Amino acid sequence: MGIKLHKHPRLKSPIMIVGWPGIGNIGLIAVDTLRELAKAEELGEIESYEFFLPSKVVIKSGILEELEFPTNKFYFRRIEGKDLIFFIGEEQPRKQPTSDYAEGEEAYRMAHLVLDVAEKFGCQRVYTSGAAVSLMHHTMRSRVWAVPNTERLIKEIKQYSNTIVMSEIEGRGGQGHITGLNGLLLGVAKKRGIDGICLMGEIPIYLQGLPIIYPKASKSVLDVFSDILGIDIDLSQFEKTAQKAEKNIEKFYSQIPSEMRSQLEKLKEIYHLEPTEIKPMTEKNRKKLWEEISDFLKKEGKGDEEAI
Amino acid sequence: MKKPFKYTGLPKLKNSSLIVGWNKDTGNLAPAVLEFLNRILGCQVFCELELEDFFSFGGVAVEHNVVHFPECIFFYNEKKNLVIFKSDQPHFQHYKFLNTILDIAERFCHVHELYTISGFASSFVHTSPRRIFSVFNLPEFQVELRGYGLEDMTWEGPPAISSYLLWLARKRGLPGVSLWSELPFYLGAHEDPQCVKSSLSFFDSRFNLNLDLTGFDNMIQEQDKKIALLRQEKAEIDQYLKLLESGISLDEEEQLKLAREIYSLLKK
Repeated sequence: MGIKLHKHPRLKSPIMIVGWPGIGNIGLIAVDTLRELAKAEELGEIESYEFFLPSKVVIKSGILEELEFPTNKFYFRRIEGKDLIFFIGEEQPRKQPTSDYAEGEEAYRMAHLVLDVAEKFGCQRVYTSGAAVSLMHHTMRSRVWAVPNTERLIKEIKQYSNTIVMSEIEGRGGQGHITGLNGLLLGVAKKRGIDGICLMGEIPIYLQGLPIIYPKASKSVLDVFSDILGIDIDLSQFEKTAQKAEKNIEKFYSQIPSEMRSQLEKLKEIYHLEPTEIKPMTEKNRKKLWEEISDFLKKEGKGDEEAI
Repeated sequence: MKKPFKYTGLPKLKNSSLIVGWNKDTGNLAPAVLEFLNRILGCQVFCELELEDFFSFGGVAVEHNVVHFPECIFFYNEKKNLVIFKSDQPHFQHYKFLNTILDIAERFCHVHELYTISGFASSFVHTSPRRIFSVFNLPEFQVELRGYGLEDMTWEGPPAISSYLLWLARKRGLPGVSLWSELPFYLGAHEDPQCVKSSLSFFDSRFNLNLDLTGFDNMIQEQDKKIALLRQEKAEIDQYLKLLESGISLDEEEQLKLAREIYSLLKK
């Protein structure tokens, strides 16, 4: 039980990039797209049966042939002289099936197992990726919120394009919370002396509870990975998926009652403001708008105000 | 570390058999079978799993007008070399929960084979015999149980907790079988005495229990009689049952109507 490695390549200070499902599957799609484009080879896996309920059973002629569990696989590849290890988890270990995110003992152990592989191959840096629920409009470009597990990395992060740290987000004062394993892994990495950064692509608050993907944010994350790794990423195939998703979002948006939609249009005004800028919307109005959006989402049964 | 169970005694068993059944089963099959065995064989409680490790206590469920509280209880009968585990399905920590069952069974009861029982609803008529479908975790055990009239199951899809238990048992080399007793879909909300009897008959012959199951015959006759009367009173119901008797499936609406009528009839 634990880690099963199928290969033992010699890697030179690899970077580990980790993806789990979450809001809009933003991080998972970004990391998995990068893994696919890199044509990474399978390296090994974390045995899942301890962490997850089985998802499928195969019974043939009275014999239990197979019980399938969500996979947790490692991949590796050298690109432009850089060794990369990818970890893709199909599910986050949850204490209860109704929970949205990983928590508790199992999540903590899962984080350690991922980092055991990172340490075994000499990783000095891990990246996780997820979603940042933001008071933005879906027509805007998603920024990437970046949170490092050590202050030392803030300077580096500020050089990434289209990326902001928590203190640059209006009203946050550098505070926040990263739910699930994207956050937990960085905490455990910090404890084990491994540098880590979480890259979160922005998703509009009114889309967060919907069963949709949000490739626009995944693309922003991929752009940052392109910066970090110093490589060009060919996203022509990805763009097609993104366009399809955009159409679905537009369709959903057009179905929102016009009164509410006009409220959501105001999100265009408060987006991308530098903290020092004169705000066209007061804090009081911002709060009021948020309350209205929350009410709307509650009525529609599609929101999750805890997530912000 | 705190143990996830507490025991009140250690049974003296060797090469015993473990029967596992879950509460809230289709047609109440598993609870009915296990309660019958416990009562008739005079099985004793010896161990319970700690509920707080596996269940969320954000209140209690109300079932049939009464508060329902989870239970995870081991019973045993030394004379028949049997261990019975009757339980609610856990809310979380399934892996730990199922391994704890197997740990207790192997360490304290020297269990050498595992049986799980469950009911499942199927599209057939109540006047047909009840079949028991089987899923084995080891082919050798399947060979051993040939001759007990079990049907081989073939299925791909979402797994039941019994399949997970069976799979974990195989990892330990413990032979196991899941028994799935088929009952007509329109009896799924009730206890089907014929289905209970057929499951008990299997255990009776497998473990030489000498069970007196004649009491079920009266219940079966009574149920059949009630449905026969309903058929006379309601031509539509008779038509549905005739279709099923001819091996023709009903559409969703017809199935719902039939199930509703039979439910109202039998709850009286």
